[in-house]
Amino acid sequence: MTALRIILILAALAVLAAVPWFGSDVLIQFGINALLLAVLAQGWNIIGGYTGYASFGNSVFYGLGSYGVAIAMVQWHLPFAVGLAFGVVLAVAFAVLLGIPVLRLRGHYFAIATLALAQVMTAIVSNVELAGQNIGLVLPPLNNDRLFYELSLGLLVLVTLTVFWLTRSRFGFGLIAIRENEEGAEVMGVNTTLYKTLAFALSGVFSALAGGIHAYWVTFIDPESAFDISLNVKMIIMAVFGGPGTVLGPVVGALSLSAISEFLSSEVTSVAGLFFGIVVVAAVVLMPRGLADVFRRFRKTGWRYFAENIRAHRL
Amino acid sequence: MLKFSGLSGALVAAAVALASGSAVAKDIVLGASVQLTGPVANTGRYYRDAYQLAVDKINEAGGVKVGNETYQLALKLYDNQSDVNLSVRQYTQLVSRDKVNFLLGPFASNFALADSAVSEKYQIPMVQGGGASDQIFARGFKYIFGTLAPASNYFGSTIEMMKGLDPVPQSVALLYADDAFDVSVAEGTRPKLKAAGFTIAMDERYSTNATDFNSLLSQLKSKNVDAVLVAGHETEILNFVRQAKSLAVAPKMYSFTVGVPSEDFRKALGKDADYAFGMAAWLPSADLKDRWFGDAAQFASAFKAKFSYDPDYHAASGAADVEALVKAIEDAGTIEPAKVRDALAKVKFESLYGQIEFDKNGQIDLPQTVIQVQGDALVAIQGVHGKIAPPKYPMPAWNAR
Repeated sequence: MTALRIILILAALAVLAAVPWFGSDVLIQFGINALLLAVLAQGWNIIGGYTGYASFGNSVFYGLGSYGVAIAMVQWHLPFAVGLAFGVVLAVAFAVLLGIPVLRLRGHYFAIATLALAQVMTAIVSNVELAGQNIGLVLPPLNNDRLFYELSLGLLVLVTLTVFWLTRSRFGFGLIAIRENEEGAEVMGVNTTLYKTLAFALSGVFSALAGGIHAYWVTFIDPESAFDISLNVKMIIMAVFGGPGTVLGPVVGALSLSAISEFLSSEVTSVAGLFFGIVVVAAVVLMPRGLADVFRRFRKTGWRYFAENIRAHRL
Repeated sequence: MLKFSGLSGALVAAAVALASGSAVAKDIVLGASVQLTGPVANTGRYYRDAYQLAVDKINEAGGVKVGNETYQLALKLYDNQSDVNLSVRQYTQLVSRDKVNFLLGPFASNFALADSAVSEKYQIPMVQGGGASDQIFARGFKYIFGTLAPASNYFGSTIEMMKGLDPVPQSVALLYADDAFDVSVAEGTRPKLKAAGFTIAMDERYSTNATDFNSLLSQLKSKNVDAVLVAGHETEILNFVRQAKSLAVAPKMYSFTVGVPSEDFRKALGKDADYAFGMAAWLPSADLKDRWFGDAAQFASAFKAKFSYDPDYHAASGAADVEALVKAIEDAGTIEPAKVRDALAKVKFESLYGQIEFDKNGQIDLPQTVIQVQGDALVAIQGVHGKIAPPKYPMPAWNAR
């Protein structure tokens, strides 16, 4: 990475960190939401982008993180940080216990198995007295959006650095090997079960932290909203839009899609959903390998890039 | 000299602008974010339409008098796409960027829970008619007011009626689905039954969307329960009544939180719906007088004429939210949020929705009207002002109908 690039990234980071001091309240709230979504997309990137396992179970981690914070704060009157740690413990335990059987499945079977997890969790949590059953839990409100913003930004930096570390570590290469050819990786001596479980857990840790911050910020959770499968779909769309298996792709994807969606919902309020759908369809047709790929190849091929994508996929 | 005249010219212009500014009719802007798209849009539209209708009607009648001035109402509405996070942002946008004067609520308790934090933070009163959960009002917030009847009091008027029945039911069964709302109904009903001196012979929770009530019904039969109170959903209650018939379980009375007011429900059961008690939060009756609409019946016909569908209690509650704000602004004689908040806490008036008055948590306490299917008709038995019509009681055995 060149020095110029590093300076650019640091400058962008400084601007983002300063947003709460010059931005409006709406911008800060939008920022918290967009940053948390970026964390989720980046977390999914570890298991989905690098390891090649399209997980629909990441919203379970998110929900466990939410409940970790809510249970610790509401039921046990512990501080927020302890709640976050509790959420992470829940997520890791879940990843290990379920990862071992579920990660044996491949391709569509893995996706389907994880798809069911969120619903199962909703049903389980709805009957747990400690988690407020299906009435949910109401957290004490904390009017400090700056804190939530900086926490979310810090978490995003942390997850992105982790992904950056993956791209140059033995562990990360092992994951990429699994994505490219799992039997081959195994033959070459990669302990695939261990690697996949670790990737699943790592992905879960960040989703759980994002869920925990969100729970405290929004001050109310119930099983339906905590284990919301559409959130998982969102993180996949954002990661794929930006470029799965790249360091900055999911972040750029999440932030840009959040901005588009936000702009549409406040400007063309009643048909915003439709426009957003069109943006996603157009993105898949014109740039199926994500924004990261566009930036890389656009300079060489120019506008033909989009036409070539359409031709290559016979649409 | 030129400079000086330019400056004084600007001053004059500013003075003129100021003077004319106060002469022009000003707006009081009410802001809301409701579900116009997404899974709960079907109910969200009641609020959009009710807010709009009430605002138009109040403007037609001359607007809002604040001290010596008259204001017109304006409505600023966003679609939150049934997304809680987006609704929180939109409320923040309404108060911080659009600078609306007061807030109206979204639909559903989880939205109201999240959005009330915004009104509290910016100290802008929010009157919401879409969230009934007691949790919204248990947080000690000062700027949230609600016009949906609390879940805990759903069976209040039914129990009141039961005390006057002849013979008085000896034992009562309380059955409820395991979702948030019905659990709160049960929790509120239990102490009320005890206070009224009824024996609770059965207190059972069943899972939402249950289709098989045979074991519960057999227990009802073996314990010889007189009155059955069910808090659940329409399809469960349909199954309950059908299976009660096939097992020949006929308590002296049964009452359901939902279903009975709906025409589809009564059609589905046909003659078997007879004798069933139910409840309605609001009926478009001419007894409910209203300053702007005349009465609830006129509100219902104006609503139907404008939007071509019938209003239900959601719509009435939404319209009452606008009226409560207007009444409080007039009482306060100012549009200062803190003073209007204090006026809201003291507000007390008759509306198309019923008596509007908030307890110290900010929630209304509106009793349900007890209704009963009697032959082909749906009869109001016990309302806000006491008995309306005699109930058909006790219910005969299934083979004696």
